[in-house]
Amino acid sequence: MSAATVVADSGNIYECDAVSLELFPHGKRRLIIDRLSLNVRTGEFLTIVGSSGTGKSTLLRLLGGLVPATSGNIRFRGAAVAGAPSGVVVVFQDYSNALLQWRTVARNIALGIEDKLDKAEVDARIRQSLQMVGLEKNALDHPWQLSGGMQQRVQIARALALKPQVMLMDEPFGALDAMTKASLQDEVLKVHQQTGTSFVFITHDIEEAVYLGDRVIVLAGPPGRIHNAVDITLPRPRDQMSTRQSPEFLRYRAEIHDAVLAAGGH
Amino acid sequence: MRAKLNIPGTLTLLALVALWEVAVRGGAVTFDYLPAPSAIAVAFVGIVRSGELLTATLHTLGSVLIGWVLALVIGGALGLLFGLSAFARRWFLATLEVLRPLPAIAFLPVALLLFSFSLTTELVVMVYASIWPMFINTMGGIANVSSRLNDVGLTLKLSPTQTLLKVLIPAAAPSILVGARLCLGLTLVLAIIAEMIGNPHGLGYAVVNALIAIQPEQMFAYVLFIGVLAIALNALLLQAARLLLPAYGRGAVETV
Repeated sequence: MSAATVVADSGNIYECDAVSLELFPHGKRRLIIDRLSLNVRTGEFLTIVGSSGTGKSTLLRLLGGLVPATSGNIRFRGAAVAGAPSGVVVVFQDYSNALLQWRTVARNIALGIEDKLDKAEVDARIRQSLQMVGLEKNALDHPWQLSGGMQQRVQIARALALKPQVMLMDEPFGALDAMTKASLQDEVLKVHQQTGTSFVFITHDIEEAVYLGDRVIVLAGPPGRIHNAVDITLPRPRDQMSTRQSPEFLRYRAEIHDAVLAAGGH
Repeated sequence: MRAKLNIPGTLTLLALVALWEVAVRGGAVTFDYLPAPSAIAVAFVGIVRSGELLTATLHTLGSVLIGWVLALVIGGALGLLFGLSAFARRWFLATLEVLRPLPAIAFLPVALLLFSFSLTTELVVMVYASIWPMFINTMGGIANVSSRLNDVGLTLKLSPTQTLLKVLIPAAAPSILVGARLCLGLTLVLAIIAEMIGNPHGLGYAVVNALIAIQPEQMFAYVLFIGVLAIALNALLLQAARLLLPAYGRGAVETV
């Protein structure tokens, strides 16, 4: 039995063990993440909250293989992460920077698959992804012709086209208005339910973390470390009205709110 | 957004030409060799009929095209290298910044000495002068691409080459096109000068030749034709930019 199988049996798609990251801005050593250990269960919707400066985005970049850890181990499906692992894709907050403004919506979605799959498969995946985020009618538009919420849908569709096992989302709805945010939250939950993809979702919005997550991790820092983790046992499917008004939801919100305050940060 | 004929502007231009004609014919202006516009027009028909204009134009356009392409390739490649590599910028940019302000015309005698009166001399001077706008605009365009697009290339598992070709260069394209357009304008100017001094062919040589032969009507005809040629080349590139850039959204065309 290989090591990879053993790890897969553990039910964790990600395993991080004492991960630290140091940077040297202006020649001065700065510890950004401090011996952080964390597992992501297969199929789980994990949300991570914390004040600014607790290294939330950096943690996500480490998981996505966009930046190497200074020390410690990050394993994705049992294999050490070196560079962006296949099966993992990051969705960024700044959608207008992350989309290729000169490509149409469909060609943006094709970017990650056009050289790897044959044309029929690429077209099929574009269609499926557009349908999942409700942008079937906008395939030929350019991103700059769309609203912020629609642009973020394009970025999510582009990630979905890769059929990832894990979606890493870095405050994806932080720049959107409340109505758009609510509908995109439900969109993401639908994708989670339909595809079984695991999610690691960074946010500074405590209600969003509770509403989406199976588990909420509160980060403390700087330097970033885990303050506590809370399992969210709210029933699924969740609903913007009834879930958010339930006493359990409000209790989780209060608990995590207190934890974020206790964890400090800036 | 189609270009419309600027009627007041055109009327002013025509009035000035008419004034020139009247001033020369009426004896109000008494330069020995200032021909009237009508005489220049006659000379122009003459050089068109004799085929001299066509031969000279073909030579100049040919060397402009070669020089432009060379400058685009060299300037573009250098711009890419310096735009992508902080190492190259730290170690070699200072050297290029020293070379850049040296006027290309000052190199003409050097090139003459090395390559004598030839197309090579013409090209060396043209390319030396015109790589700079291409270099600077390509470097700036690439260096200013949002670092987020590098993250996107990584997370979508594009190879470094794919990221360069599909993401970074297209993102810098509006800036690169500005460089290409400035470069073309300079190439024409330098070609004319090089032909006047370093290579006895083309429109630049034709101007000087008409001067030596004391044929001011012909000289003016060539000079004005060069002006029209410059306007036409510029318009051609602007039109190409209009075809290429709409995908970049509001404002991209205006920047070129």
